[in-house]
Amino acid sequence: MMYFLRGKVAFTLKIIVISLISAILLMLTQSAFAQREYVIAAFLGLTVLVLALTYLTKISIPLKFFIPGILLLTAFVIGPILYTVTMSGFNYKTGNIISKEEAILQIKARGIEADPSGISFDIKLGRFDGTEAILVSDIANLKYFISTTSSRVAIDPREVTLNEYGVAISAPNFKALTDSELANADKSYSKRHFIYEGEYFIALEGFEAGVVSRQVLEYVPSTDQFKNLVNGKLYSDNGRGNYSLPSDATAILEPGWRAPIWFENYSKIFTDPRVREPLVRVFIWTIVFATATVLTTFALGLLLALALNKPIRGRRIYRSILVLPYAMPSVMSILIWGGMFNTEFGAINALFGTDIAWFSDPNFARLAVILVNLWLGFPYFYLISSGSLQAIPSELLEAAAIDGANSRQIFRKITLPLLLQILSPLLIASFAFNFNNFNLIFLLTGGGPRNELDGEIAGATDILISYTYKIAFGSSTQDLGLASAISLIIFILVASISLYGLRKSKVLESFS
Amino acid sequence: MKKWLMQDSWRHLIGISISLFALFPLYLVVISSFASSGSLQLTSFVPKEISFKNYQLLFNNPAIPYLTWAKNSLVIAGSVAVLSVIIGSASAFAFSRLAFKGRKTGIQLLLLVQMFPAILAISAVYVIMERVYKFAPEIGLGTQPGLLLVYLGGAMGVNIWLLKGFVDSIPAELDEAAKIDGASAVQTFWLIFVPLAAPVLAVVALLSFIGTFNEFILARLFLVDMENRTIAVGLQQFIGGQYSQNWGPFAAGSILASIPIVIIFLSLQKYIVSGLTAGSVKG
Repeated sequence: MMYFLRGKVAFTLKIIVISLISAILLMLTQSAFAQREYVIAAFLGLTVLVLALTYLTKISIPLKFFIPGILLLTAFVIGPILYTVTMSGFNYKTGNIISKEEAILQIKARGIEADPSGISFDIKLGRFDGTEAILVSDIANLKYFISTTSSRVAIDPREVTLNEYGVAISAPNFKALTDSELANADKSYSKRHFIYEGEYFIALEGFEAGVVSRQVLEYVPSTDQFKNLVNGKLYSDNGRGNYSLPSDATAILEPGWRAPIWFENYSKIFTDPRVREPLVRVFIWTIVFATATVLTTFALGLLLALALNKPIRGRRIYRSILVLPYAMPSVMSILIWGGMFNTEFGAINALFGTDIAWFSDPNFARLAVILVNLWLGFPYFYLISSGSLQAIPSELLEAAAIDGANSRQIFRKITLPLLLQILSPLLIASFAFNFNNFNLIFLLTGGGPRNELDGEIAGATDILISYTYKIAFGSSTQDLGLASAISLIIFILVASISLYGLRKSKVLESFS
Repeated sequence: MKKWLMQDSWRHLIGISISLFALFPLYLVVISSFASSGSLQLTSFVPKEISFKNYQLLFNNPAIPYLTWAKNSLVIAGSVAVLSVIIGSASAFAFSRLAFKGRKTGIQLLLLVQMFPAILAISAVYVIMERVYKFAPEIGLGTQPGLLLVYLGGAMGVNIWLLKGFVDSIPAELDEAAKIDGASAVQTFWLIFVPLAAPVLAVVALLSFIGTFNEFILARLFLVDMENRTIAVGLQQFIGGQYSQNWGPFAAGSILASIPIVIIFLSLQKYIVSGLTAGSVKG
């Protein structure tokens, strides 16, 4: 073993491993660069450099220990956090997801209008003189022509072959696409404008019909505006990720792009009642939920710890049974509880002979959430309370007993205050954890019940984190910018709670 | 009535009633898994039949690749456990034993980063891995190696923090002696520290294993293919989606998946409790 870590063998091995990893990373860097993912490419490139510097030179010994951890943390924790911070400053939601360049292309592509008389032709896709072309059949007038993006050639009707519907399927110098070519034609042909007359061109509608259309919206690069060629109106960049009319801010062109709006997502949280009101409701429930959970789990856990604080018969059996809820994989126990609360078939209603629609009534749903969390959480407080009870010096209790205090007084005046002092950091940690207990809400009620008719996305049992998740990944609209802003506010809240708890534990450490 | 029972009757009363509360859902799952009806219905407290239909379904139905899910969960959670403990313990060792500039800042930064609710960075992780997929389809979105990397990154904060607590409690005399004998920091780590801390590292690895085994949201987002899923994601799909309300196989699958976790947990109870009091809360 020593030999491996010291001699030439170790050195050679090290070189081999580092070169192998570097080679893989360099390959990835190159392909990332080719895909224009510059930030990722830069990170990967930097990683290679850092690895070589750390492990092949003697710059810093601690770094040799830290580098793998730091790299992973940077890539998958700090990177995403920074990205979240960035997103929170952008108008980044459904309708404003893509970049400005892509948005301009899409507006151009969508900004065409069919000829008012609605002329359309049967067409055949193919190639003419090697360029993309369509063979157009004007069946009503028995005229045929080939159109490319730059020219239009009329063809003598006697030179074309018609199928049974009177559509031309072949013509001189025109090579129709094969079936396999047709499968890939969607991307190229459907975006082309094939020449027709004047400002009008033929745009594809599927692979067998072409509609006579004209461009209505035209991009003016010099002023960064879109011009409506029909009525002359000018749409300009409104600075918020859309082109709109200066006279009417609601007249915007779709789609928009993600544009920086700085602190608007944050100010919206406090000023826009449509955002603020549900958020305040959800925030209050989050506090109630987390507080109720901490109080109930602690109370039940402590009660148990007190009851089993004496070596009574079967204590070991009790203990093994009582930690089972905590040992079970929580995903599964939450789902099981979800089934037990089912109105028609659930075991809870069957057991008590009730007929409660647990997850349809806001208050019953809230009760169910707290009850399930009590089941999941009390063993934790049972375990730590019974540990802490043993840490309380027995002399204290004996002295109180000699002074004539009864057991209730001893508990209230000595045991409980001491216990609270020892456990307060853990109570705070538990509060912080439940503040963000996403799995429970998501798997048990999904945040419901909610009034879906009003288009409300906040449900009665939604806590901040599940509500934010819904804002970001909702089924109808997704607002990543707003969700990121709320995330950062939650982060600040939870971090302050936890740091407060940590301070407290430090204070305790210095006392003991 | 015996004397001990009289004296401690209130203790037993509390113990028994809360034990019933703890056991009720578990008992229900067990009888559901042996029932053939397929719902989580409470028809009677005593099972009327014992049918292995649900268990057979898990292993024989080609539409339910339970064993593949189990293998996926084992491979992913196992790799995360081993790798994250190796990488994390190196960092924890450096934090605890080496003197260097910025040590305190580093610890504080780590603590702060760890407090960011992981679920909220999911959209960012998703977008990043989507981009990675474009140039490296082997490790991007929708792949197990990609998920593994994301888990490793996510586990770092908590694990370094947890391991640092354990490392601090191991006496430093031995590595100081090694240092005097001329061993480098790297040698001290591999030859003195790792063998000494092996039991603790194993505990943290097992905790990490349980945590990853339980992870659901990222796994659901990442693993779309039936064959790629983990047990948690696969079983959840039973009672939502296409197998709607299929409680029988779900119950059977949950029991089989929970048994090893519960056994690990019970046998490590002592260590887990001390880990808990160090400030971490299991989900």
